[in-house]
Amino acid sequence: MAARARQVVKAYGTGETRVMALDHVDVDIARGQFTAIMGPSGSGKSTLMHCLAGLDTVTSGQIHLADTEITGLKDKKLTQLRRDRIGFIFQAFNLLPTLNALENITLPMDIAGRRPDAAWLDQVVETVGLAGRLKHRPTQLSGGQQQRVAVARALAARPDIIFGDEPTGNLDSRAGAEVLTFLRKSVDELGQTIVMVTHDPVAASYADRVLYLADGRIVDEMNNPTADQVLDRMKDFDARGRTS
Amino acid sequence: MTVWKTSMRNFFAHKGRMALSAVAVLLSVAFVCGTLVFTDTMNTTFDKLFAATSADVTVSPKNAKVDDIPQNGKPESLPASVLARVAKADGVKKAEGGVSSPAVTVVDSHNKNMGSETGAPTIAGNWTQNDLRSMEITSGHAPRGPTEVMVDADTAEKHHLKLGDELRTIAATGDITGRISGIATFKVTNPGAAIVYLDTATAQRALLGAPDVFTHLSLTAEPGVSDARLKQNVAEALGGSATYKIQTQQEAADANKDSMGSFLDVMKYAMLGFAGIAFLVGIFLIVNTFSMLVAQRTREIGLMRAIGSSRKQVNRSVLLEAVLLGIVGSILGVGAGVGLAVGLMKVMGAVGMELSTDDLTIAWTTPVTGLALGIIVTVLAAYIPARRAGKISPMAALRDAGTPADAKSGWIRAGLGLVVTGAGAAALWATTRADKASDGSGLLGLGVVLTLIGFIVIGPLLAGVVVRALSAVLLRFFGPVGRLAERNALRNPRRTGATGAALMIGLALVACLSVVGSSMVASATDELDKSVGADFIVQAPNSQPIVPQAAEALAAAPGIEHLTHYRVLDAGLTTPDGVTKKQEVTAADPSYQQDVRREVLSGDLAAAYGKNAMSVGEDYATAHRVKVGDTITVAFKGGGTAKLKVAAITSDDTALDQGAMYINTSTARKYVPAAKMPQNMLMFAEAKEGQEDAAYAALKDSLAKYPTYKVQNQADFKEDLKDQIGQLLNVVYGLLALAIIVAVLGVVNTLALSVVERTREIGLMRAIGLSRRQLRRMIRLESVVIALFGALLGLGLGMGWGTSAQQLLALEGMGVLEIPWPTIITVFVASAFVGLFAALVPAFRAGRMNVLNAIATDG
Repeated sequence: MAARARQVVKAYGTGETRVMALDHVDVDIARGQFTAIMGPSGSGKSTLMHCLAGLDTVTSGQIHLADTEITGLKDKKLTQLRRDRIGFIFQAFNLLPTLNALENITLPMDIAGRRPDAAWLDQVVETVGLAGRLKHRPTQLSGGQQQRVAVARALAARPDIIFGDEPTGNLDSRAGAEVLTFLRKSVDELGQTIVMVTHDPVAASYADRVLYLADGRIVDEMNNPTADQVLDRMKDFDARGRTS
Repeated sequence: MTVWKTSMRNFFAHKGRMALSAVAVLLSVAFVCGTLVFTDTMNTTFDKLFAATSADVTVSPKNAKVDDIPQNGKPESLPASVLARVAKADGVKKAEGGVSSPAVTVVDSHNKNMGSETGAPTIAGNWTQNDLRSMEITSGHAPRGPTEVMVDADTAEKHHLKLGDELRTIAATGDITGRISGIATFKVTNPGAAIVYLDTATAQRALLGAPDVFTHLSLTAEPGVSDARLKQNVAEALGGSATYKIQTQQEAADANKDSMGSFLDVMKYAMLGFAGIAFLVGIFLIVNTFSMLVAQRTREIGLMRAIGSSRKQVNRSVLLEAVLLGIVGSILGVGAGVGLAVGLMKVMGAVGMELSTDDLTIAWTTPVTGLALGIIVTVLAAYIPARRAGKISPMAALRDAGTPADAKSGWIRAGLGLVVTGAGAAALWATTRADKASDGSGLLGLGVVLTLIGFIVIGPLLAGVVVRALSAVLLRFFGPVGRLAERNALRNPRRTGATGAALMIGLALVACLSVVGSSMVASATDELDKSVGADFIVQAPNSQPIVPQAAEALAAAPGIEHLTHYRVLDAGLTTPDGVTKKQEVTAADPSYQQDVRREVLSGDLAAAYGKNAMSVGEDYATAHRVKVGDTITVAFKGGGTAKLKVAAITSDDTALDQGAMYINTSTARKYVPAAKMPQNMLMFAEAKEGQEDAAYAALKDSLAKYPTYKVQNQADFKEDLKDQIGQLLNVVYGLLALAIIVAVLGVVNTLALSVVERTREIGLMRAIGLSRRQLRRMIRLESVVIALFGALLGLGLGMGWGTSAQQLLALEGMGVLEIPWPTIITVFVASAFVGLFAALVPAFRAGRMNVLNAIATDG
């Protein structure tokens, strides 16, 4: 297992106003798999990802990243863990505007004081197709290119697991498809583990497995989905949500 | 109305971000108001004092000078017979003869000086009924006979004097020793003068050197007789006012005030000058604050424009915020200013200038000036950012509200800045080439102003270059964190430029003054080495003359080869071309030629010390076409007229005795009666061969009874000079500290606002693994780089100014340029620490920022 959550609760507020963002969630993320987390707004899908990635703390329950329990870790350890073992792709503002593409890609390793593996870096850059644009600043790149830089950054450090938070949310469908193809390729060809939060059925269809979240609970899952299947399932939830 | 509402809401929503700007306004306004309150209070104090001490009408000799220490140690006097004539005038209720002399030193039985060390006078006089206007005897009684003395209560308290203690009054005619018979207390505030009273006969003999003379007559009017009326009557009784100075109470008080007023004015304008510098620095802070607030609010402003706000409305809403900021800062500043004034009074009390908070004077103009200045400066500073806000297009609402785009500095700006800087540099260069100090000082001022403006204008351009250079040297040791810091400092050169420029201003002045100060010391030292041959120099503080009994004591010291008298005489000189001019003539002993070596252009200086001979300076000789062998008619003040032959012309290329005309002491004695002979201004001594140390000790011993005089060998003299200039510089640095504090606030402000602006980035970096420590270090390094940028510019500019000033002052004898590298380097290193300090809070807050802010998909 690349990541494992057991009875994870994330609650905000107390008493009457207590809101359960995550309500005793159990999740297993398999190594070398592309997992998508789906759910309507407010379902807790982003919160789940933040907790799994050590960005947010849980109210109770345990989360393991490989063999390391991350719940209860101090900020310093968590930061190190994120730096060395996790990659991130966010929806927007993925890159530091002051650094060029290459510097952004190697930033996590630079921060850690590690030398990037040159051959691997070349391969990653080649894979995401950025070879000609490494010296460009983020403002000189299109939205799709920026996201590809973010993917390259996530891959370059060879993390145990990459978390993506709506990585294609800000892209048009063609650019989005490109980015998702790279993510898919990195799982298939490089054996990368990826967890992605999305509300886009097309994006989810690139995953090996889709988890559905509603009201802080995992309500369903699907393996090797197609976009249509995902869409149907979503409609189904919507309908049920409305009638219940 | 909506504009008003938006401004109010914005102002209060961002009150944290406005806080530092408000503090900058507050400090500057406080300094202005503090200065005004303080000087007004001093004025009030002196007004009250002089009004209380002046009689209804005062009669004094025509050329009596207020407060001036007479060269011969005896103030101008008038005969007692005048008192009898005045007393008979109509409307005079009482007429008293007064004696008062500021040319005294008072010591206790341990030879400790009872007077002020900081410039306030020591005054000896006789006790009259008139003194009861301002004082009362609180213990003992007024002095009777030559062995009694009364002292003022402040002095008694300061030096723990009680009735029966011995006090010695040192005057030109000799020492008067008496026991304290009484203590008199001021009814108004006495800011620091030490006062002793003798009985009238003793005062006349000891202070004026003759019986039956007075320095002034104090007249009291009969009821119903106005001061002006009385003045007229007295003038008639004296047969016209031509021979004597007759002043009403108001006139006497005003005359006294005038002598004080110029000193107060100098102090006031100097302090206001420093407040002005602080304001200038504050402007940068305010400009930065508003620029950053506008940048952060771009999307919001775009939305306002999209839904129909006019440019003018947006513009006005930003300016309104500035007005609010100005009002808040200024009101607090006025309050703080009063506090500052009180604090300043306490500080002055500690150094011997007593002021009472009862006299605290807050004129209505003070708060009005403070408020007006604070608000106007704030609004002016916010004007450019406000205009920029007005120019924001409605499209901005639709763009991503990411980090505001990097501002690039324009080429026009760079070109303009280079032109202005170039012009300034040319002016400074021309300064160093000036032939006359008067021409050069204008050029220097122009050069300073132009280079300062030029540097401010090209600041953003320089920021790019200097920050890169600094980073290449310093930040590369910090790896990727250093690189991030460098990029952050570079991302908005305009902001970095303005922040650095604020620091630059203060530090440029520090550097300039330190260069001038140490060049002054170096030049003086050089001059001393070159031209002073005397082993020892004797001088009194505040250019007081040396009383004859001290001169005699020095002469009696063993181990002395020679002791040189050095007097300055006032005279009217008539040259062969028929022009008569007032001039100072230096009367010295021939041994002075060894004490201070002078370059002689023509003639023989030794001959100038001969009978009926003199020397003149080069400039005077040129101006009046005087040659060696010519005769000059010298009319000595209070003495006879001599025809003296010019025996030598000395070079004016010197800092010591520039333009001095020498005659022999014996020549002076021949024409000036002993009673009118000025006292020595300085004295020089030479030890017998090999007895330097013994002679030094002996000279010091000989002055034990005269504690205000200092005898110094050359090494101590140089050290003393260095200390004095050092102290002066420290005071100036202290005043500049205000501007530097405001500049540091500016760095804090820029960093704090940048951290807010970069919330997302910081979150992102933390998410991908930047530790808190690395984050804090990144911000600290950015701060250090900005501070060092400001320091580098400031120190460079300041050294340029200082060097130009020295080159100019070389014409006045300041020939040696010395750059005080230890000071410069200390300031540079200290700036790095200032940067670290400024980053403390912003870095701490950045470290505590929530990582999730970066990921929250829509902000």
